[in-house]
Amino acid sequence: MAKKVKSRTISVRLISMAMTGYFRTMIRPRTHRPLSMLKYDPVVKKKVLFLEATKGGRNR
Amino acid sequence: MATTQPTTSLVNKLPARLRNFFARYPPQVYSAAVAPRPEAPETATVTTNPEELPSPYTPNRDAKGFKRPDPKEFSPSRALLYSDPKHPNPFLPRKNFRTGKWSGPRFGLRTQAELVNLAVKYNVEALLPPGRKSTEYKDTRRNERGLAIKGTGIGQKVKGHKWERTMEARLEDRRKAMMEMPEMIRLWKQRGHGRGWKSWPKR
Repeated sequence: MAKKVKSRTISVRLISMAMTGYFRTMIRPRTHRPLSMLKYDPVVKKKVLFLEATKGGRNR
Repeated sequence: MATTQPTTSLVNKLPARLRNFFARYPPQVYSAAVAPRPEAPETATVTTNPEELPSPYTPNRDAKGFKRPDPKEFSPSRALLYSDPKHPNPFLPRKNFRTGKWSGPRFGLRTQAELVNLAVKYNVEALLPPGRKSTEYKDTRRNERGLAIKGTGIGQKVKGHKWERTMEARLEDRRKAMMEMPEMIRLWKQRGHGRGWKSWPKR
């Protein structure tokens, strides 16, 4: 039986590094490097760094 | 405090309700000022000596060696509610130790409150018998129990919600993270906007 085909893109969670628990969900190609960007965190009301988080915290 | 033998003019100033009350229960006998306190414990009318008890097989609790609570061990607020057996306090219920039955107070709590409020208004509260509605009792009881709000008494605390219990630590984490944020962003920019980033957060 053929293996189930994995989707080309995955949805990832970008967590605010201000430790507010705020996050954004984004879609990126599976083979792309992990996402990170500066975005607004409404809890601290500032632009902060958001880093992608995966299960187990393992990223390439 | 007013005198225990008020002058006629002072008496006439009081409303009829209080005058009637004081006529029925003269302050010289009944007032809180002259009420006996636990320092003078009442004479034990019930014997607790086992040999003198009638029989242990009666439904009478007194006969089974029921001990009347020792007035010396009363809490301060309870001690205020002390009734002289010779002149039963009309504001307190009392037990008839002959029949074993309780009789309610002569004045219900609502009436007591009305009388106390009236007496406070005319500044003669000390002439009333001690009761649950008196200012002294309420103050003492509040001191004992703290405010009615849970957790405000001595040695009391409330568990609270988890978000309340952890709030301080979380805010501290957030504050530290925000302190380090400019440096983190500088590093992130330096390392090619995440290309060389190693420490990714756990989900």
